[in-house]
Amino acid sequence: MRATQPAIPFTVARLFQKFVVLVLAVVPFLLVFAISFGEKIEGAAWVWSFELSNYKRFFVGADYPNSVSFLYLKYLWYSIYYALIASILAVATAFPFVYLMTRLSRRVQTIWLVFFLCSLTFSEVFIVMGWDILMSNRSGLPMLFKESGLTDWLKQTGGLDIMRDWGLATPRNVRFKPSEFATILTMTYLVWPYAVILLYPPVSKINNEIIEAARTMGARPATVVRTVVLPMVRTPIVGTILLLFVFLLGAYVTVAVFAEPAKHTLSISVYEAVRGATLNAPFGSAQAVILLLTAAAILFFGRRFVSHPEGR
Amino acid sequence: MSKTTFTRRNLLKTSASLGVMAGTGLLVAPALAQNRSIKIGSYGGYFEDSLKSHVYPAFTEATGIAVESVTQPDSTSWLQTMSQAISAGNVPADLSMHTPVNIIKGQRLGGILAPIDPRRIPTLDNVEVNFLHRADGRLLGVGALSFYYSMVVNTDEVDMRPKSWADFWDTGRFEASLGLPKNVNFKFLDIVAATFLGGTDALRSHEGIVAAVEKAAEIHPNVALWYTGESQMEQALKNFDVIGGMYFHDVAGLMAADGHPIASIFPKEGNVIDFNSWTLSEGSQKQDEAYEFMAFSCLPETQAIMSRKIGTAPVVDAAKTDLTPEELAAVAGTPAIHSPYEVYLDDETFITETWDRMVAKA
Repeated sequence: MRATQPAIPFTVARLFQKFVVLVLAVVPFLLVFAISFGEKIEGAAWVWSFELSNYKRFFVGADYPNSVSFLYLKYLWYSIYYALIASILAVATAFPFVYLMTRLSRRVQTIWLVFFLCSLTFSEVFIVMGWDILMSNRSGLPMLFKESGLTDWLKQTGGLDIMRDWGLATPRNVRFKPSEFATILTMTYLVWPYAVILLYPPVSKINNEIIEAARTMGARPATVVRTVVLPMVRTPIVGTILLLFVFLLGAYVTVAVFAEPAKHTLSISVYEAVRGATLNAPFGSAQAVILLLTAAAILFFGRRFVSHPEGR
Repeated sequence: MSKTTFTRRNLLKTSASLGVMAGTGLLVAPALAQNRSIKIGSYGGYFEDSLKSHVYPAFTEATGIAVESVTQPDSTSWLQTMSQAISAGNVPADLSMHTPVNIIKGQRLGGILAPIDPRRIPTLDNVEVNFLHRADGRLLGVGALSFYYSMVVNTDEVDMRPKSWADFWDTGRFEASLGLPKNVNFKFLDIVAATFLGGTDALRSHEGIVAAVEKAAEIHPNVALWYTGESQMEQALKNFDVIGGMYFHDVAGLMAADGHPIASIFPKEGNVIDFNSWTLSEGSQKQDEAYEFMAFSCLPETQAIMSRKIGTAPVVDAAKTDLTPEELAAVAGTPAIHSPYEVYLDDETFITETWDRMVAKA
C-alpha cells in the first residue's frame, strides 16, 4: 500500500502532462495539417477535401504547368535567412557581454539580469514601433544625417550613390527602411535579452581556476577564450542559436514593417492566405506545415551537430 | 429581372412621395421606441469614431433607436468572424459594412448575409443604382458611402504635378519615392489597366492580367514602400519617406487640412471609385431597426453629414444634397475608374499570385 500511494499523483501528473501536450500541441497541429488538404473555392472560402494542390502550389505556383513560380520557396528562404543571421548575430554579440558580466560582482550581475528580464516585457510591436521611429525619415537617423550635414557630405563624396546601390538611400537622403539591414537589426535586438538570459547559466558556471590555469601556462586572453572558454560552452551556444532561430522563424511584425515585399517571409504569406482577402486557409495551412517541417529539420541537424562534434 | 426591379422601385417612389415617409415616420418613432437598439459594425479607428460622433447620434435623435457600435477590423476577416459567430448562434452585429467583393463572397458562402427587402426602405430611390448590390435578383447591400483610391503627391517635393498616372513610371522624377499598396485588392492594377491597356475591362482575361502586371513591374525602381496598412502609408507620407503614390482621396484631404503638404490629384485617367454597403446579418432579431437605419443612411442629409464629417463621397445624387462645389470636390472627382469586381473573385488565386510574384520579384 505504501508503495502504490505515491504512484497515484505520479500517474495523475503524467496524464495531465499528456493531456496538455495533446490539447495544446497535437490537436492544433493535426487540425492545421488536415486543413492543408482542403480545397479553395474561387471567390468564396474553402471546403474540406483531400488534395495535394496546396503543397504543389507551394513549390511551383498556382498556375503550374502554364508557368512556374518559386514565390513561396523564396519566402521560405527569407524566413530562414533572417532568422539564422539574426540569431547568430544576437548570440555573437551577447556572448562577450555575458562573459564580461559574469566576471563582475554578484550584485551587479543581479541588477543586469533583472534589467534584461524586465526588457522581455516589451512586445514585438512595441520594439518595432521604436525602431520604426528611430529610422524614420523625419524623426530618426536620416534627419540626423541631413541636419548634421552628413547627407551633403555623402552626396559630394559619392557615398550616397553607393548606399543607393545597397538600397539604403534615395536620391534625396539616406533611407534605412525598408531594408534587410533594418529587418535583421530589429530581429537581433528582439532576441538579444533572450540570448543573454540563456547564455548566463552556462557561462557563469565556467570555473575561473581553469582560465587562470591557462593564463599561468602562458596563453593570451584571446587564446584562452578561443581554446578554453568557447569549447566549454559550445553546446549551450548552439542550443541558444537554435532556440532563437525557431523563435524568429515566426516573426511577423518586424518583417511586415521593415522588409520590402520582395524579401518577405513565409509568416507574412501564411497570414495573408488565412486572414487576408482570399480566405485561403488550406494554402495558409500548407505553408505553415512546411515551415514547421523546415524548423524541425533544422533543429534535428542542429542537435546532431552538437551531440557529435567533429574533431573531439 | 431588372425590369421587375424597376417597376417595384417605381411603386415605392410613388408611395414614398405620397407619405413623405422618411420625415414623418422618423419623427413619430421616439415615443414608441423606449428600449430599441441596434448593433452596427464599421471599420475601427477614425472611421468608426466619426460615425459614432456624427451619424449615430443623429439617427438616435430621429428615431429613438440607440446604436451600439461594433468594431470591424476590415471587411474580409469580419466576414469570417460573422460566419463563425452566426454558425454558433450569435449575431455579432445586426448591420455590417462590407465591400462589393465581400458581399459576393458572403453570398457564395451562404448563411451570413440576409436578403434586404427594398420595399422596407422608402428612401432607397435616392441611392444611385451602381451602389445597390444585387445578386440573383435579391438585394444584399445598400450603398453606405463611396470613396476614391487616388493619386497623391507631396507638394513640397514634387514641383510639377503629374497629369497622368504614367508619370509615376518616370524614374528620373520618382526614383525610390512612391508608396503603393502591396495588396492586389487595393486596385492599383485597375489604374495600370486604365492608363496603359485602355480600361479595366482588359483585366477580364488572363493575358490582360499578365500584361497589366508586367507593366506594373516596371514601376518597381520608383517604389519606396509597398504598404500593407493604411496607417503605414499615412506615416510614410507625413515623414516624407514617400513623396507620392496611391492613397485615399478623403484621407489625403484631411492630412492637407492638418497642414501636411499633401495633395490628392485626379489625373487624366481618373481615380478608382469604390464603395461600401450596409448588409443585414442572417439571424438578426433587429430587422425593423436595421431597416430604419438603412432608410436613414439613404437620406441626402445623412450622406451630406458623412461627406462633411468623414470625407466620404455620397452614394446619392450630389445635386440632392446641400454640399457646396468645394465640399464635393473634397470628397469626389472625375473621371472615375470602375473596378471589375468579378475578376477579383472568379480569378482570385490567379490575379493574387501573379500580382504577388511581381511585388516579390519572384
